[in-house]
This record gives sequence, structure tokens and C-alpha cells, in this order.
Amino acid sequence: MSTAAATQGVSAGTIVASLQNCTKRYPGVLALDGASFQVAAGEVRALLGKNGAGKSTLIRMLTGAETPDTGEVEIDGRPLAHSGSVRAAEAYGRGVRVVYQELSLVPGMTLAENLFLGRWPTGAGVIKGRQMEAEAEAALKRLGLDLPANRLVAGLSPAERQLVEIARVLLGKPKLVILDEPTSSLAAAEAEKVIEAVARIAAEGIGVIYVSHRMNEIRRIARSATIMRDGRIIDTVDVAGADTREIVRLMLGAEADAATALTSRAREKVVLEVKDLSLPPKLSSVSFKLHEGEVLGIAGLLGTGRTELLQAIMGVRDFKAGTINVDGAPVRKPGYHAMMKRGFGYTPENRKDEGIVPLLGVDENALMTDFPAVSSGGILSSSKISAAARAVIERLHVKAARTDTPIGTLSGGNQQKVVIGRWVHAGSRVLLLDEPTRGVDVEAKAQIYAIIRDLAAEGRSIIFVSSEIEELPLVCDRVLVLRDGELQEEFTSPNIDQDAVMAACITSH
Amino acid sequence: MTLEQASAPASAAVKRRPRFTQHMNELSLFAAIVVLYAVFGTMAGGFLSFNNQINILRDAATIGIAAWAATLIIIAGEIDVSVGPMVAFISVALAYLLQWHVPTPLAFVLAIAIGAVLGSIAGVLRAYFDIPSFVATLGLWSALRGIALFVTDALPVSIGRNDMVDALDRSVAGVPPAAIIMLVLFVIFAFISRKTAFGRSIFAIGGNPHAAFLSGINVRRIRVAIFAIAGAMAAITGILLVSRLGSGNATAANGLEFDVIAAVVVGGTSLSGGRGSMLGTLLGVLVITLIGNGLVLLGINPFFQQVVRGVIIVAAVLANIQAIKRSRVA
Repeated sequence: MSTAAATQGVSAGTIVASLQNCTKRYPGVLALDGASFQVAAGEVRALLGKNGAGKSTLIRMLTGAETPDTGEVEIDGRPLAHSGSVRAAEAYGRGVRVVYQELSLVPGMTLAENLFLGRWPTGAGVIKGRQMEAEAEAALKRLGLDLPANRLVAGLSPAERQLVEIARVLLGKPKLVILDEPTSSLAAAEAEKVIEAVARIAAEGIGVIYVSHRMNEIRRIARSATIMRDGRIIDTVDVAGADTREIVRLMLGAEADAATALTSRAREKVVLEVKDLSLPPKLSSVSFKLHEGEVLGIAGLLGTGRTELLQAIMGVRDFKAGTINVDGAPVRKPGYHAMMKRGFGYTPENRKDEGIVPLLGVDENALMTDFPAVSSGGILSSSKISAAARAVIERLHVKAARTDTPIGTLSGGNQQKVVIGRWVHAGSRVLLLDEPTRGVDVEAKAQIYAIIRDLAAEGRSIIFVSSEIEELPLVCDRVLVLRDGELQEEFTSPNIDQDAVMAACITSH
Repeated sequence: MTLEQASAPASAAVKRRPRFTQHMNELSLFAAIVVLYAVFGTMAGGFLSFNNQINILRDAATIGIAAWAATLIIIAGEIDVSVGPMVAFISVALAYLLQWHVPTPLAFVLAIAIGAVLGSIAGVLRAYFDIPSFVATLGLWSALRGIALFVTDALPVSIGRNDMVDALDRSVAGVPPAAIIMLVLFVIFAFISRKTAFGRSIFAIGGNPHAAFLSGINVRRIRVAIFAIAGAMAAITGILLVSRLGSGNATAANGLEFDVIAAVVVGGTSLSGGRGSMLGTLLGVLVITLIGNGLVLLGINPFFQQVVRGVIIVAAVLANIQAIKRSRVA
């Protein structure tokens, strides 16, 4: 593999960034616990760890966004001396750059304009278009992207946009580039371009920190991987010599082994069957069955098409091929309202943008799936509304002062309970929950698990999508792993082993 | 954890405050109306006379009836700038219908139906073709005024003698029918907005259209419906205009759309959608009407009146926003 060879050709250079025994404590959390870490010029270092392991804190140390309580951060051979906002500017000045997951490009402007956004080369206030485009094209070529710089960003593929984002960072002649899951939103073939670009950056002598969970990518571009857990750096392993199971064990630690025994109420009856569902580029052929009273977990890394799968089932996203059977009968036109009538309910991953109407009360947010149920003669009845709202609030343990408290003022966990509760109000029997515990505190998480188990015990069927592996054994009767566009492996409670599920998610094939 | 504190024993005091906060907007508007009455009452002769109060009510009806529908539209996060030309177009259409000896009640029904259909065109463009409602209604604004002017050559279309139409302009116990219709419609709209699934769905769509859709609300149908309702309300305004002038006028109701939007916004409805109230709009309509009436009675130069009106509208909204902000902090 030529890219891998290119990386390996660069011998370990000088150290561009290092942490010495850094500790950072936030109220109630030890985010970083005596971490020591270093990256050399020309090296690609993979950074692994589950959510909350301390990866973001470590990155924030390097960018100067945070100052360690104890310990020192050195960039380019000298420690960062300042604190506060000056510290970030100091790190930036020494050449630390981060490319984040959320893209920050302006789609309606050209490649060149985006690359120089806000720093356009001007003469007497007029932008020097020619010069800018020539420089932009050169910068893109460095990453292997051969595009005219006067193209609009709107017409680019997601991978190309990611490369433009990286090229923008390279313009400032960085010493250390940190990439935070740069391929998480890309299909496998597209990710290739980004991987190649990363290898090129390293070959130029820039140090790279590569945060990702995709082992096949890591194996191709990184020689060593640093694994974090609970704010500590657990180990730095030689990627070539370590097998995936070993890396997973380091990521999850020993606590992972305690298996939880759930009482499954799943019955024989199949309520939903998906056959050979294809939705390029994310899903190629997905088949599974959901039984009555079953909680079916779907695991998989960010960007594997989990959301797309749920949306295809609900009829809000067109798919290319495949069939969806409900109660044994095929759904010919799976429109959203038709699926609701069949007793399906869907809670979106992005609660704030798609889940809640922040200004309306808890009552209306919970009841808007079925207004007729709280009306008499077409007129909303205050007494029925407050009774139904109270029922949802009690049933789902929502903490709200009043039934008409605006939902926007509630905590994330309570908002999520209301969003789930609206399908209980609608009497749905199949619930598709997309990341229901995202941005939810620990206590509310445990409550949501209990609620889901209760709903299943009543005979409802639930699909539970999650990127937090450790919660799957607590909630699911069965777990399917989505990878490379297909459901790869199946685990059944009580044999849902976190290590094995994680390995199935990140493994290369 | 303010919520948990709120559910603590001292809940009686906590319960009262949000109620008060909720009505801060209406309270400050009410104060503004009192101030306007005090200022114009002392400075403008005849402002407080019974006749002038009736005039104010009648003028309020012209803005108000359209403003009820506009409130729903703005709460849904949309905008309708076609009101003025819609009213003028309907007045011309009604005048022709009456000239053709269409029975008067049927002519009224047809006029309202035409208004609803024209409004729903904007609604369909918005809901099914994703044309911003500002653009869709701007198209209507231009086309309707143009058709009315083209057909009539900008001349009034007389309806001749028509007892039923005249009756619409004859006061009942001193109160003009237009004012009664406005108030009846106000009650209906206030009821719809608070007490029906349709009304609450409008708030949900304005607050978060994605969440509304995912909860099974038929977002498209409701968007079409509110524009159809707006067309029908403009038609009723057009009918009342014909009764007042005795003719259909292509040049009438010039700039009415801005008075309507100003009334809704002064009334505290958020232009970004999801927040607003009919009571607020009622008070907003009164503020706008009082300003117009009082400035005329003060004998201020008509060109300069527009300046004063503009300043007062912005100042009213500014004061309102400040008052609401302060009540939240307190």
C-alpha cells in the first residue's frame, strides 16, 4: 500500500507537541488524570477511546482552549505560558490546527473564497481573485484534490468538502493537525480520499493526531495508537502488532465483563421485517426482523447509516431497493403518516432541531401526536389535556413544575422523556428511537432504560439505536451491528458482550 | 435545577409569576393605549367624541379582520404581503358580480371563495413548491393590483342601489356592522388559536416545523389552510369596503398590508414564528388605528404623519421587547 509506505518512510522526527503529567478536573469529573503524551513531526497518531474517555479534553489542552490544573503542555519545544484566551492564540501561533466534525464552509461561495474565508488577499480593498484562485488550487493539489478553485462548495461531495476544510488548515503552515473523526460522515469509498490526504500531510513533516474508531483506516495510516479511558492514557500500542480485540479491551477496561440478565418478553410474532434494504451510498443490503415485545439494539459507528435506516422504515427517506413488511404484509408506499397509522413512532437523533417545539408546553409537546384524543367535538378540552399530560409526565417520570411549562426550559433528559412519551400518548406499538440517550445525564439515562424495558414488557417493540456500546446490554434483548452498509453480527442477551460488540463495530474485514 | 425548586412548597408564588410574565406584552400594550388616549384626548379636539370613537372602530375593522388571519400566518413562521391588493381586487370582483345581477348573498359567498382560492395559491406555492411565502405573496400583491387596475382602468366600479350592501354600512345602535363583524371574528380566531388542534398545530409548526411533521401534523395542509383563511378574511374586508364606498376600487387599501403586519408585530407576535397571541394583535390593531386617527385630528401634515407613524411603531415594539425582557429578569 503506497500511502502506508509513504508514512512509514518518514522516520520519527522531532517532537512537535507533548503533554507532561497533565490533570484537569471539572466539577464532579476528573477529565484528564496525569496524562503524558507526545507526537512527532511526520507522525500520524491515532487516538482511541469511547465517549467521555478524555479525548476532547486532551485535544483542548493541545489547542490551548483549556489550561491544565497541573502539568505542562509543550508545543514546538516550548511550554504554553499564558492562560485564558491568549493561550489558544499562543498555541495557534505555534502551529496547532484542528479540523472538527462539523463543517464550517459557506456553500454559496467558491472553493477559493472558502479557503481564504475572512482573510482574502486584497489590494486597495478589492479581492485579488486570480492570485487567490491560483494559491487555492495549489493548496488543494497538495491533498490530491484536482478541482478548479472557482467551483462552488455547494457542488462538492462530502469528502471533497472535508478536504477543503483540511486544505484551509494547511494554508497557515501548521506543525500539528488534529483531525476529529474526519471520515465519520463519509461512505467507505469516499473516506479513501481523506485517508490519502492525511498520509500526504504527514509526509510533509506535519504531526497528525487522528481521532477515529475505524480500525481499517487506522491500520492504514497510523503506526501507533494511543488509547484513553476515564481521563487516563492507558497505553500507546503498535498498530501493526495489536489485534482489534486487544485494543477494544484497553478501551473498555475490565468493568465491561459483567453481563446483565434481562427478562425478555419478546414473542414469536414478527411485527416488522426489513428485507435487503438498500440506500446507497450508506446501506447496501440490510435485513432483520423485529419481534413483538422485543428491544432490538442497532450498534454502529457514527455515519454508518443508522439514522438513514430508521428514516427509510418510517417513510421519510426514499430507498433504492428492498421491502418492508409490517405484520407480515408488505408496505407498498411507506409514507410517514401511513406508518404512524400502522402504529409506528420515531424519535429523531437531534432532539433540539427535530424533536421539540421549545416554546410550547410539556403538555402540547407530548400530545401533538394525537390531538383528537384530548378533544371533544373538535375542540381541545383543558381537562382532558391536563389529565393526558399528567399521565405522560407520571408514566415517564418527567420532572416539570407544571404541565404547561415550556419544554425548552427542561433538561435534555426530561425533554427526551417527553418526546418518547408523545408516542405512548399516540398508542404506538413500534418505537424507533434514534440515540435516545444522547446529551442526557446519567440518572436520566438509567430512567430511560427502565422506561424502554417497561414499554417492551407491555408488548411494544422497540428499535434502540446507540453509539454508546456500554448501554446496549442494559436495554436490549438483541443487538445487531451495522457496518459497511450491512448488518454484520448478532448478539443475544445475556451474551451481549461489550468487547465483542465494539470489536464488531470498528473491525476491518 | 430551577424546576425542582419550583415544585417545592412555595409553588403558589411561583405559579403566579409566569402568568404575569406571559401577559407582560398585553399589559404594556394596554398602557400604551391609555397613553395614546391621554395625549390625543387632551391635544386633539373631538378625539374623544362618540362619532370619532365609532370612526376608530370602523377603521380598526379594516386592519383587524385581516390582522386576525395574519397573526396565524406569522405565528406559523410565514408572512403575507398581499392583503391590500387582495382587498382591492375582491372589491372590484364583487362590484362586477353585483353589476351582473348575481344575487347579493351569493355574490358575497363567491367573493369570499375567490379570496380563499387566491390565498391558497400562495399557500400551495409555499407548502408544496417551497417558494418563500414572502415571494409567493409578493407575486400576488403585484398581480392582483395589476389585474384590478387593468380591468377597471383605475376607475371605481359602481354597484348601483343595493339595500343589502348598504345595510352593511348602517350602524346598529350606533355601532357599525364592520366593528361587530371584526369582534365576532376576533372571538372565533382567539378560540381557534387556543382551543383547536388546528390552532395549536400552527404554533407547533412555527416553533419547529420538523418536530411538528415528525409528530404527524400535516404541515403542508395547514400551511395552505392559513393562506386560504387569510384570503377569505381579505375578501370580507373587501366586501365591507364596497359597502362603505358604494363601489369597487382597484386603487383602494393601498399599503394595508403594512398596517396589518405592523399591528401584528406591535401586538407582540414574533416574526420568527411560534409565539404570539390574538389579544396582543387586537391591542396592536387599536394602537395602529389610534395613531392614524389622532394624527389626522391633530392636523399634522399628511406626509409628515407617515414619519410619526413609523417612529411610533418602532418605538412601541422596542418598548414592548424591553418590558418583556425586564419582566423575565425580575
